[in-house]
Amino acid sequence: MSTFHNCRPFPPATLPLFCLLISRIFPLEAEAMLKFAIRNLFSRPVRSILALLGLTVAIAGMVGLFSVAEGLDSMVNTTFGRIPGLLAMQPGAPVPLFSSLPAEWGEEIEEIEGVSVVNPNIWQRVNLINNEMVVSPPRFLFGADISSRLALKADVYRDDMIAGRYLTLKDQGTRNVVISKPIANEFNLEPGDIFNVNGYDLTVVGIYFCESLLLDVAIILDIDEIRSISRFGPDLVSSFYVETTKEFDDEEMIDRIQRVFVGRDLPAVKFSSQNIDANPIQTVANFFDRALKSFGSDNGKNGGEPEDRPINENNSHPNEANGKATDSEKTSTSESSGMSQPDAINDEEFFPLEVRNANDWAKRFTRFSRDLNIFLAVLTGIGVTIAVLSIVNTMLMSVSERIVEFGILKANGWTKTDVLKLVTFESSLLGLAGGVLGCLFGFLATQFFNHYFPTRAQLYASPELLAFSLAFSILVGVIGGLYPAVWAMRMMPMDAIRRG
Amino acid sequence: MIRIQNIRKVYQRGDSEVHALRGVTCEVAENSFNFVVGPSGSGKSSLLYLIGALDQPTSGDVQIHDRSLSQFSNKQRDEFRRNQIGFVFQSFNLLRNLTALDNVLVPYMPVGISSELRRRAQELLDRVGLKDRMTHRPNHLSGGEQQRVAIARALLKQPQMVLADEPTGELDSATGAEVFGYLRDLHAEQSTTVIVVTHDERYIRDTDRVIALRDGKLAV
Repeated sequence: MSTFHNCRPFPPATLPLFCLLISRIFPLEAEAMLKFAIRNLFSRPVRSILALLGLTVAIAGMVGLFSVAEGLDSMVNTTFGRIPGLLAMQPGAPVPLFSSLPAEWGEEIEEIEGVSVVNPNIWQRVNLINNEMVVSPPRFLFGADISSRLALKADVYRDDMIAGRYLTLKDQGTRNVVISKPIANEFNLEPGDIFNVNGYDLTVVGIYFCESLLLDVAIILDIDEIRSISRFGPDLVSSFYVETTKEFDDEEMIDRIQRVFVGRDLPAVKFSSQNIDANPIQTVANFFDRALKSFGSDNGKNGGEPEDRPINENNSHPNEANGKATDSEKTSTSESSGMSQPDAINDEEFFPLEVRNANDWAKRFTRFSRDLNIFLAVLTGIGVTIAVLSIVNTMLMSVSERIVEFGILKANGWTKTDVLKLVTFESSLLGLAGGVLGCLFGFLATQFFNHYFPTRAQLYASPELLAFSLAFSILVGVIGGLYPAVWAMRMMPMDAIRRG
Repeated sequence: MIRIQNIRKVYQRGDSEVHALRGVTCEVAENSFNFVVGPSGSGKSSLLYLIGALDQPTSGDVQIHDRSLSQFSNKQRDEFRRNQIGFVFQSFNLLRNLTALDNVLVPYMPVGISSELRRRAQELLDRVGLKDRMTHRPNHLSGGEQQRVAIARALLKQPQMVLADEPTGELDSATGAEVFGYLRDLHAEQSTTVIVVTHDERYIRDTDRVIALRDGKLAV
């Protein structure tokens, strides 16, 4: 141990600097004790550093892990905070990608008092870009009715153009697209470039960048053109983006819109068969898409065999979700989108259209991030437990080596509480230093991740998270030092001195 | 006046009992210089630590100024040790992480070290010849220097009583004499009661009180 005691990995000026800092901050009583505690830690540098590293890693891990959930929360808040309108989609669909609605409903929504603009949208997953498979991060074709899109007062994509131009009426009927900056960067695209998506050539006319992982995923084009390269027929859309006049609050508008469609059934899906024949890649993709979705929607009733549920030109599926008899006029598009209607909804209560505002979306994500937090807390708990044990071990070793020292202190009038304070100061200093370093490294790690992997996730270590982590680390230090401290303080002075 | 009344101390060593003191009764006058002598294992150090409230007797009582130590609360015992007793140990018992100056000041760390205390500690170290060694740690000091630091620590309290357990046990004759010189000076200047446990009877003067122990009892 003498080798350890003699080595000094800290710069010589570090200890006086600490002491000076402490003398400026703490009252006279605490100052002397703290200086003593620091000297004790510095006198066993290797052991202190190892305990410190254990805690640093645990706290950095905690900051890093919880920054995932915070990043998600932050992203959701900033993203949905910028979308003032309402989104009408199929009930139960988690996102518009899984929603199908009759296109004609858009006109009915437009007639509702308080509605200003209705913009029909189609969302389609991108499987291939320039013959490269797109898995993660996901990319989407976003078909929008250009004329109504241009009528919107606020359009996040249009408002965040960074190169080229946004879609105009001239782009109707063309395969001109606006793409996000991450997509442009990933595939080295600029306005004027042509690239291939799912087997179709598209021309880039503009680039947008919303700085949100939820929004910077789209390839925006004319809604009629997306129909020609996707499975959506002319009578279907994924969702309607509704801009209101703000005469009524969101809750009232949601109710007004949903009430118009109460009791109606969702009609059958009408896929565009010409595209299936036109594009072999899409044909294969659609085959798997249909197979998977019918497997999911059958709920085991049909044994998961897609060939039992052929989709013909009329796409007449039995409306099993509503427990109804087979009827081509009363089928649910949820079958085709892989979503089932909740069993509890009966005919009278059934809303075939679900309208959500930004708050609803934020709430959904909050629920998700809450679940994520539980998972992250378990992971953090494992790391922190190891760190606590490490501190207990360090402090126990330190205390057992210094039994005589505590005897001397008691012989000189130190009370049990004074000894307890000294040991707890030492462990909480480890906690403080581990917390500071852990927060620093955790924060730097989130910045590093955000910088080098901007399209994978957006991590955010908030000041609150950092403050909590620091406080938690100090608490871990205090708790870790309590048992050894109690052990040290209970010894009679002479017992302690005699042990030496 | 210190009254020691029929004091017994039994240590448990595994299954067996070690009788360190077997009913010792004696008195120590105020402002006196006392020696406790006797062979090893006779109970000298045990008696000293009981007087200094570092340990508790199995039975019997120690009274300081007519107050029984057994009636002291823990807090009173701590204060008694901090303010009224100065200990000097054979193995010096300095804290190796602290400088000589901080070792002198260590009793007052929990209550705060004022600039006045610091000045007095520096003066005491100066007096015992360690003016240039104040910032040295114990492992950079000789045995004699360490014991002088321990004496300075005891002196800082301006104690009513100094208890020294074999203070010259690890020192050569010259240094031992020097240490005893400081203890004699303290006794003379501050009228402090001094009790020294020793094997070395060279330092005993005629005017000193000698308590001789054998097998845990007062030797006749």
